[in-house]
Amino acid sequence: MVNNYHPSSLKDALDILAKESVTPYAGGTDLMVEHNQDAKYMFLDRIPELGKIVKEDSKLRIGAGCTYTQVLESDAIPELLKKATIEVAAPAIRNMGTVGGNLCNGSPKADFGLVLFVADTTLRLASAKSERIVPISEFYIDRGKTVLKKDELMVEIIVNDINLANFYYMKVGERNALAISRVAFAAVCDIKHNKITKLRTAFGAIDRTIFQRNDIDAMLIDKTTEEAKELKADYLKAYDEAINPIRGRVSAEYRKDVCMNLLDDFLETNGI
Amino acid sequence: MIEFVLNNKNVQSNAKYNERLLDVLRDEFRLTGVKCGCKEGECGACSVILDGKLVNSCLVAMGRIEGRNVLTIEGYSETKKFEVLSEAYSAVGAVQCGFCTPGMILASECILASNPNPTENDIRVGISGNLCRCTGYNAIVEAVKIAAKEGKGLW
Repeated sequence: MVNNYHPSSLKDALDILAKESVTPYAGGTDLMVEHNQDAKYMFLDRIPELGKIVKEDSKLRIGAGCTYTQVLESDAIPELLKKATIEVAAPAIRNMGTVGGNLCNGSPKADFGLVLFVADTTLRLASAKSERIVPISEFYIDRGKTVLKKDELMVEIIVNDINLANFYYMKVGERNALAISRVAFAAVCDIKHNKITKLRTAFGAIDRTIFQRNDIDAMLIDKTTEEAKELKADYLKAYDEAINPIRGRVSAEYRKDVCMNLLDDFLETNGI
Repeated sequence: MIEFVLNNKNVQSNAKYNERLLDVLRDEFRLTGVKCGCKEGECGACSVILDGKLVNSCLVAMGRIEGRNVLTIEGYSETKKFEVLSEAYSAVGAVQCGFCTPGMILASECILASNPNPTENDIRVGISGNLCRCTGYNAIVEAVKIAAKEGKGLW
């Protein structure tokens, strides 16, 4: 009886996925917590296409099967992404857990997923028949639910903006290691010749998916710092109305306060 | 039949591909130094070294270790490095109930293998996935520092 698959090429993996009902097994660190005795796994660790990190001009391609340890050890990874990686669990989990597996798990608390939102990330998804590129903001549908179809695999994570030097990142958890985020916040901002040329923010762990509102952030883009200061109250008010955190192990009110404080601190850090 | 290298010996297991490595190590190979604390990767008591890297054996399916190299505390305890770590742990009382110790020792090995002169922060990060409810960690951190000094040249 075949009760597992261990393909050694992406093509083989996609062919199996087209015909069989199998659970793709990347790092296993989430899957094995549930540990389904009847699971039929397709192990992805022997597929070379999924294990590479490649810097290409102004982009970064991270194979979906790369472990968090690989991400930490790679010279190509920007500091913001490394900061979030260090927040992922602990060494033993980072040695097995993969970026793609983490994203496909669909958690709004994924530390690495959050920073990808502010790095203008797209995801390459492939099936035996076709492939498509999906912006990360359209990937998540609900908690534990993504647009990934049964016959598709995530192949790579394409970070389209690696100029992330001026970033703000904060994770609020209960302890330093192995902590699940209570609130996490990531933002990037570029100010050139006193003009805000880039501003992206995202919140993790406060809603059923990672929370991002490009339309509100757009209020401050192409504005001078002085103009942004005048618009700050409206900007914060828009977020105050938009953010309605869900209650978890901490109250919704607490989460909301933390979100607004982080947002305000981020702006102040940038002189806004 | 799943073939892999266990504590430097070629072995075969009749386990299913989706079984936990932790359960197979304990039940089939009777390697009970691999402790089961939580089965969700939170405590590190089941840590083993897979191809040179620390992993939680509760979160590894057997299919994933086909052809790979697994080292448990039983195999590691036959090495000179273990002796150094063992003496260092004893010297500062870094063991109390002992349940976390096999995992802690293997985490210590991985810290020293990647960096023979770790800072205190390197050590704390290195053992951050291993819970100890007795010692308060300071003695363990101290033990790794001592091992780094006493075992100079070994790592």
